[in-house]
Amino acid sequence: MSTMTHEAGTAVADRPRPNGHAAIRLSGVEKIHRTDRIETVALSEVHLAVKPREFLSVMGPSGSGKSTLLNVIGLLDRPSKGTVEIDGQNVGTLPDRALAAKRNREIGFVFQTFHLIQDLNVLDNVEIPLLYRRLAAGKRRALAQEALERVGLSARTSHFPSQLSGGQRQRVAIARAIVGRPTILLADEPTGNLDSQMGDEIITILEDLNRTGTTIVMVTHDQRLASRTGRIVRLFDGRQVE
Amino acid sequence: MLINYLKLAYKVLLRRKFFTFVSLFGTSVTLMVLVLASAMLDHAFSPLAPEVRLDRTLLVTYMAMRGEQNEWSGDPGYGFLDRYCRNIPHVERMSIYTGAHAVASFVNGDKVVSQLRRTDADYWSILDFAFVAGHAYGPSEVANGSHVAVISESAARNLFGGRPAVGRTFETQGQTFTVTGVVRNVSRVREAAYADIWAPITTLPTEVWKTALMGDCNAMLLADSRSSFRSIRSEFAARLPHVVMTEPDRYQTMAGSPRTRLDDVAAGAAGTSGDIPRTGMFIGALALLALLFMLLPAINLVNLNISRIFERVSEIGVRKAFGASTGHLVGQFIVENIVLALLGGAIGLLLSVWALQLINGSGLLANADFRMNPRIFLYGLGFSLFFGVLSGVYPAWRMARLDPIEALRGGSR
Repeated sequence: MSTMTHEAGTAVADRPRPNGHAAIRLSGVEKIHRTDRIETVALSEVHLAVKPREFLSVMGPSGSGKSTLLNVIGLLDRPSKGTVEIDGQNVGTLPDRALAAKRNREIGFVFQTFHLIQDLNVLDNVEIPLLYRRLAAGKRRALAQEALERVGLSARTSHFPSQLSGGQRQRVAIARAIVGRPTILLADEPTGNLDSQMGDEIITILEDLNRTGTTIVMVTHDQRLASRTGRIVRLFDGRQVE
Repeated sequence: MLINYLKLAYKVLLRRKFFTFVSLFGTSVTLMVLVLASAMLDHAFSPLAPEVRLDRTLLVTYMAMRGEQNEWSGDPGYGFLDRYCRNIPHVERMSIYTGAHAVASFVNGDKVVSQLRRTDADYWSILDFAFVAGHAYGPSEVANGSHVAVISESAARNLFGGRPAVGRTFETQGQTFTVTGVVRNVSRVREAAYADIWAPITTLPTEVWKTALMGDCNAMLLADSRSSFRSIRSEFAARLPHVVMTEPDRYQTMAGSPRTRLDDVAAGAAGTSGDIPRTGMFIGALALLALLFMLLPAINLVNLNISRIFERVSEIGVRKAFGASTGHLVGQFIVENIVLALLGGAIGLLLSVWALQLINGSGLLANADFRMNPRIFLYGLGFSLFFGVLSGVYPAWRMARLDPIEALRGGSR
């Protein structure tokens, strides 16, 4: 499958996709968190197909399963039941190592709290996903620089996260998420820690990425931002209600 | 990737200075002690001048005469060594010599204390002393009981000041000796060679030593090769039943065996009678001690590392989310620990050089010259890496197996 073997330098929009495959397909997905005493149903009977190049937002109250859904799509968590397909491939049977490789190649993450490594400068932070590919240092640097240019931070490469504003940190996090040219970008409340102006800037960047071919699934509480995406999925108590 | 890891390792070390200090202190001090111990062992057991043939030398330093009610153990006597230990097959040369004993001389009214050892002529052909002037005494001087002596540089300085010593005389124990040669100082650790003054064994004041089975003498048996040790010991053992006891009413048998230097030290350390030195057990105990000595700080470092790595769960979560496998993360933390261990190792080696100089200069062990040699440096490097891997693998493996979602929840920046 071409999307599984692409090189980091290939533009997302240029990559062919198999006809008829959803970028993401969840069928009857259930996720139950079990402890010794209790079972919590985080997701129940979720059926979701996200088309290639779609920009989808997931909304719902706290505890409705939004982040769990994102974790399952992002291959960070395995569903208790049901199947998950990424670009037509059922990932349920893949071992952890293969899941890690698939995350590295095909999925980018943006977190609400940025999760930048404080001891590394901006360029080194952005480079992280490329460390787990067999790429020469020069190539990594060039790709990281390019990703930073896309988010308008090419002048801050040697700054450390503590020297940046919240909006700038999130832009670094987006650059890190897209540096490996993933087909799918998962954003968990990317504007949650930002004021509305910075939030708008971040959404504009995501819209831009979506226009160039990236499939985006964004969790948000903000109806105004969600309305700028192509589709809204609502969850309540782990169930898909819309 | 390695450069990225190294860069991060450097930053992490600077971030937690106290942790870094504790880790470096633990590693470097442990390493220093181990390097000192290995330098001392090296100095004591390696074939170094003048004991350059130590690797194929057996020593007869301990014998026991036993009777039903009595036992006399200790250094053998000249009579036993001369009569029963000569001409053993595979022994190229044999030397009999006394222990080194403190003797006094008076120079311009000042008391000068030296260590005097009396030897035969073969002593000089088995050991390789570095003569700075003159020469050793030979078989004729020994046979004639000539009052000649070889002295060390420090004895020459003490007895004669800065003047040339060869040909001069000095007096000690009521005897006057003429100096035939001056040799470089010998370390106290070199048991068979160490002394300040060496004189022919035939200058001993009485005649009793010539026939004594037990006394104050030792022998060096220079084998044609190390592989002959077993047959030499067998022949030695075969001769013991034929020893004619000088006090048969008190002692009926003799026991003992030629030993290597290591056997000798092992027997001394174990406090055994010496018939069986139990060298294997001694080496095992030393190895166990060294292992424990390394293991305890390593366990401590493991705990410190777990705490340190726990502070970085968020980073682990991010790396896992972006495709790092358990192997990648274990590799990263091991690289960090190896950097820390090598840094500790470098400091430890510097401390060792300093400590060795301190010991050499302190006079704690006369004429000791402990040195850092390349072999010991490599031991040190090996120890450091051992520390790095030992203290890094377990916490790294544990942390790398963290659930990425839990890890991402663990920190937020």
